[in-house]
Amino acid sequence: MPESLKPSSEQRSTDADRIELPVLNSARRPHGGPTLIKLLLREQQELTAADLFSQDHAAGTIPDQARYYSKLLPAAPPGPGQQYAFDVDLDRCSGCKACVTACHSLNGLDEDETWRDVGLLLGGTASSPAMQHVTTTCHHCLEPACMTACPVDAYEKNPVTGIVRHLDDQCFGCQYCTLACPYDVPKYNASRGIVRKCDMCSDRLAVAEAPACVQACPHEAIAINVVDAQQVLENSEADHFLPGAPDPQFTLPTTHFRTSRAFPRNMLPVDYHAVNRQHPHWPLIVMLVLTQLSVGAFIVGQVLQSRLPASLLTAFQQFHSTSALGFGLLALAASTMHLGRPQYAFRAVVGLRHSWLSREIVAFGAFAGVACMFAGVCWYRPANWLVPTLGWLVVVTGLAGIFCSVMIYVFTDREFWSFGTTTAKFALTSTILGIAATWLSILVFGSFVDTPTAGILARRAGVPLIQGLIISTAAKLILEASLFRHLTRRRQSLLKRSARLMVGPLAGSIFARIACGLLGGIVMPLFLWNELSTDQSRGLFQVISVAMLFAACLVGEMLERYQFFAACAKPRMPGSVS
Amino acid sequence: MNNTFTSLLHRSDGPLTCELLREPGNFGLGQVPVQMKPDATTDMVCGYCSTGCSLRIHRRDGAATSLTPNTEYPVNLGMACPKGWEALTVLDSPDRATTPLLRDETGRRVPVDWDRAMQAFTERFKTIQAEHGQHSVAFLGTGQIATEEMAFLGALTKFGMGLLHGDGNTRQCMATSVVAYKQAFGFDAPPYTYSDFEESDVIVLIGSNLCITHPIMWERVMRNPHSPEIVVVDPRLTETGVNATQHVALSPKSDLTLLYGIARILIENGWIDTDYITAHTNGFDEFAEYVIQFTDDCVTAETGLLRSQIHRLAATIHHGKRVSFWWTMGVNQSHQGVRTAQAIINLALMTGNMGRPGTGANSITGQCNAMGSRLFSNTTSLLGGHDFTNAQHREKIAGILGIDPELVPRRNSLPYHKIMEGILSGRIRGLWVVCTNPAHSWINQSQCRDILERLDFLVVQDMYANTETAQMADLILPAAGWGEKEGTFVNSERRIAVIRKVAQAPGLVLSDFNIFKLVAHYWGCADMFEHWQSPQDVFQLLKKCSAGQPCDFTGVEDYEFLNLHGGVQWPCRDATAADLQERRLFEDGRYYHSDGRARFVFEDPRPLTERPNDNFPFILLTGRGTASQWHTQTRTRNSAVLRKLYPKDIFVEINPGDARQLQIGPDDKAVVESQRGRVLARAVLTHAVQPGQVFIPMHYQAANQLTDAVFDPHSGQPSYKACAVRIARN
Repeated sequence: MPESLKPSSEQRSTDADRIELPVLNSARRPHGGPTLIKLLLREQQELTAADLFSQDHAAGTIPDQARYYSKLLPAAPPGPGQQYAFDVDLDRCSGCKACVTACHSLNGLDEDETWRDVGLLLGGTASSPAMQHVTTTCHHCLEPACMTACPVDAYEKNPVTGIVRHLDDQCFGCQYCTLACPYDVPKYNASRGIVRKCDMCSDRLAVAEAPACVQACPHEAIAINVVDAQQVLENSEADHFLPGAPDPQFTLPTTHFRTSRAFPRNMLPVDYHAVNRQHPHWPLIVMLVLTQLSVGAFIVGQVLQSRLPASLLTAFQQFHSTSALGFGLLALAASTMHLGRPQYAFRAVVGLRHSWLSREIVAFGAFAGVACMFAGVCWYRPANWLVPTLGWLVVVTGLAGIFCSVMIYVFTDREFWSFGTTTAKFALTSTILGIAATWLSILVFGSFVDTPTAGILARRAGVPLIQGLIISTAAKLILEASLFRHLTRRRQSLLKRSARLMVGPLAGSIFARIACGLLGGIVMPLFLWNELSTDQSRGLFQVISVAMLFAACLVGEMLERYQFFAACAKPRMPGSVS
Repeated sequence: MNNTFTSLLHRSDGPLTCELLREPGNFGLGQVPVQMKPDATTDMVCGYCSTGCSLRIHRRDGAATSLTPNTEYPVNLGMACPKGWEALTVLDSPDRATTPLLRDETGRRVPVDWDRAMQAFTERFKTIQAEHGQHSVAFLGTGQIATEEMAFLGALTKFGMGLLHGDGNTRQCMATSVVAYKQAFGFDAPPYTYSDFEESDVIVLIGSNLCITHPIMWERVMRNPHSPEIVVVDPRLTETGVNATQHVALSPKSDLTLLYGIARILIENGWIDTDYITAHTNGFDEFAEYVIQFTDDCVTAETGLLRSQIHRLAATIHHGKRVSFWWTMGVNQSHQGVRTAQAIINLALMTGNMGRPGTGANSITGQCNAMGSRLFSNTTSLLGGHDFTNAQHREKIAGILGIDPELVPRRNSLPYHKIMEGILSGRIRGLWVVCTNPAHSWINQSQCRDILERLDFLVVQDMYANTETAQMADLILPAAGWGEKEGTFVNSERRIAVIRKVAQAPGLVLSDFNIFKLVAHYWGCADMFEHWQSPQDVFQLLKKCSAGQPCDFTGVEDYEFLNLHGGVQWPCRDATAADLQERRLFEDGRYYHSDGRARFVFEDPRPLTERPNDNFPFILLTGRGTASQWHTQTRTRNSAVLRKLYPKDIFVEINPGDARQLQIGPDDKAVVESQRGRVLARAVLTHAVQPGQVFIPMHYQAANQLTDAVFDPHSGQPSYKACAVRIARN
């Protein structure tokens, strides 16, 4: 007891005197009650002295726990063509999940941060039921998708140990790795604005200490092994990882799950049928839709330029290019909102050689630059020979940017984000919003600048634009709806999971998306078409029609892109009941 | 310049990297996060289950910052389950009760100081006693506080406040084993030590999902070097069942018939240890004659097992050189639990599998201090495993405590379920609930809540102000938790070990011990407890109470002594015996009955209390969900990590065949109904439950809205694990 806290006899009597004066009902309040309370409250705050023996431990001694884990570590470090890997003996994994908490504690993770997961496989028959818990974490892949995807080179794979380490101070929080890793390993830490992940406790391994999970598994189910890259490759090609687990040939995971049990054919993760709405990434939704709008608007502008006389277009093009540029810059601004640490956005160029995200950023950066020049030239030197050249350059860089956008998602190897579908979706969004934005430009141009020219423009270019819009919208809606065919399948494929998400938790947004699509892409264009074919033009009606067309198309595409993220069933390791 | 630019573009080091830096932690720890590197450590046992793992608390400037399992401790050998790893986290929670709360005239609960709280406590309870008799106030204790605290609660209420009725939540988990052991061995004495898990060549687990309920005991099974035959008797394929060499999936609650059938086969084949039976037991002949009726046909019909399964099990027991039998709640929480436990004991006795390494009829306890409660809570037995109805015992205890023997009740208390009945009938009007949560955990929950609502005054003493029971309380007394107080626990293998005060309690929180001290003061019986100043004092008193009893631990000096020896198993009559780290009972074949012999006890099996019928065609099984959940979750739900490790919402496991018939798909919401309640749960389809059965984990509050309040007639333990329900898609 600290000396200052010890109640001296004088203190006790003073306390008693002071507090016991206003006693009204002494039968209920015995003598000295409040004094005792004070004492007890004080005593409650005094802690037991630390163990004496604990002072005896000298620094630098071998950890006590080594007696249990030393046999779970490899005898020699990896040689050429080899690396460290987790070796999980499923026969010994009972599902206690001590590994998860030990990793959390021994690595000083945030309150709710965990780097390990334990999933459950179920199957068998009534007479021979089967159940298997599976502990997993980072597989320290031979070809880590996180590392390839990272635009800032915040991942490094140690050439000797093979450990894939995340460089927390390099990360700028784009979270692309969380999409790229099929095993849901990198976890975004919102309070820090970066991703963190398992590093196989490399500091511990370096001094022959076991990683936290290996130290803490009561059943010695987790060990560290040295594996041959060649073997990992062959195993991954043979496609035997775990029931319901992502295809290993994408990243070549090195973890070895050993078992003497034969899993029945119907062995599946317990969360196999669970459909969970995925993170929508709103800044990315805005960025994708608006960049595509911007590029689409420039393309439509260029097409008009090639079809119509320059006299009609010069003033309009000034207006239109500025508007398209505005949307493009808004998109790029939105994209930085997605970064956990936007102040390091400049690092994005570092990964140009391998990361589609770097390439996208560079391409759209070039697009923005050229588009600025183009818009400027349109205003100040409209007759300059540079105008058409720059115009096409804008289109080319924009298309390159969109192509990079497509590849960002295609790279993740998710069926819902296949090359064909993603390309079609992004291209059609460009077309739809490009046309819608052009109509908006005509409207605004007509209202504020030059009504007669706008009228002529609308009459000459209007019908093909409307036709293009209707056809694109119909095609896109059909493409999106084609996903629902998977609902009839018996097997729970990833695409069926997406379809179930759409008709389940996302049904409201699907309804809104279809309504917006029909309104903005079909109904309003038909009204406009009808309007163009009559001689009497009703100005206000046109204004409302175009405004509704644009707004509905834009909202519709935003909703489609929301579903693009939220309904993208990702491959995952076996999980647990949610 | 170039360097600055490069480092701006690519940094592999910096403040964020430093946050996860690890350094040698010293104290034998290996690397620890730099930010939590300890400057001292303290060892103490965990406060969840009865395994009694030792945790090394890392401290910095006195306060606990982190913990790791203690490598040297003979129980857990450097390991802990998720609850243990997260034991400190749950102390820091917004749900903590930090000040006494008293319900005012308008029914609102307002914060009051301890003085006001204690005045209300004494005034209300004394008024009730004056109007309705001394015994109209009762208490419900726990297996989760220190032995010294339990003893204080029991002595204060029964000797100081004049209460007669008080029981613990151990009635819900261990009462069956207590009665079974008392009748068979003459004392409540689990005979084993954990190394028996490693020594056996046959391990028979009955109604025990060791992997999930006691992961660290399963650790010991996994370290068994004899490639043991592991038999799991459980209707459901549990994690333990998966790891068994024989999973005996019998019909729910047919275990007694099975065990009698096995006994018959062993006797018929002469697979018994006649020498042991003759030398150390009574009543075998009657038993042998009795079990003849449990023919193969009878047993297969009742259990739904194949003849070959039953005979294989009998042969396995016969072929084993060191067979150990273990049971947990699957046996204890049954309408015929005592006889089932005794049927297990009978098998161990008749095959001579007692008193040797790797043998025993072994009840695995539930709560961290259920064993302490069984012997020292002054509820079912008088302090130290004595008998209230025995005048000599009363004299002895009164003498040790220095009180008038007349103050010691001559009658036994009502058991838990009779206390509830007493409230229902109006004989009991005031209740003091300490560290337990009946409004969640008691069987047939709606009825239980209805009963608690009838009380004139309900006091709940707990760490958290938001437990289901606390929410009903008229007065909440904020109590310190594990880690915020001192005392001792007794684990499943009878090992006494210490807990320490390593964390500062929030607000006006007091340890249970000091709350009892305060109550004694305000009640006006403080004189009686003048020697009860600290837990250490009480420990010395309890030592004296244990003298001469089977649970004698007079050889233990004090807390430091316990720490030094890695805990000490009772009996320990002299300090030199403490050096023995593993000790089992009955090595000499002498049991605690006056003739030194164990008894064969048996009785006719009784049918399920609520058979499936047309309206309610399924049997509902309940049990532990995951290793990261504990009982009513008042603590475990306060760790963000533990919360991630168990399903958030209630779920029901159903056989895929049944589900297909009922058109319940995976993850669908299903309605489960019994005669008593209706619960909405997420369906999990698994062959782990047999057709005609469903399973719901007990941790979810709604589970006990379904269960049926029936009790073992000998132990009064509720039968949680079988009632009739129907299930349909929502």
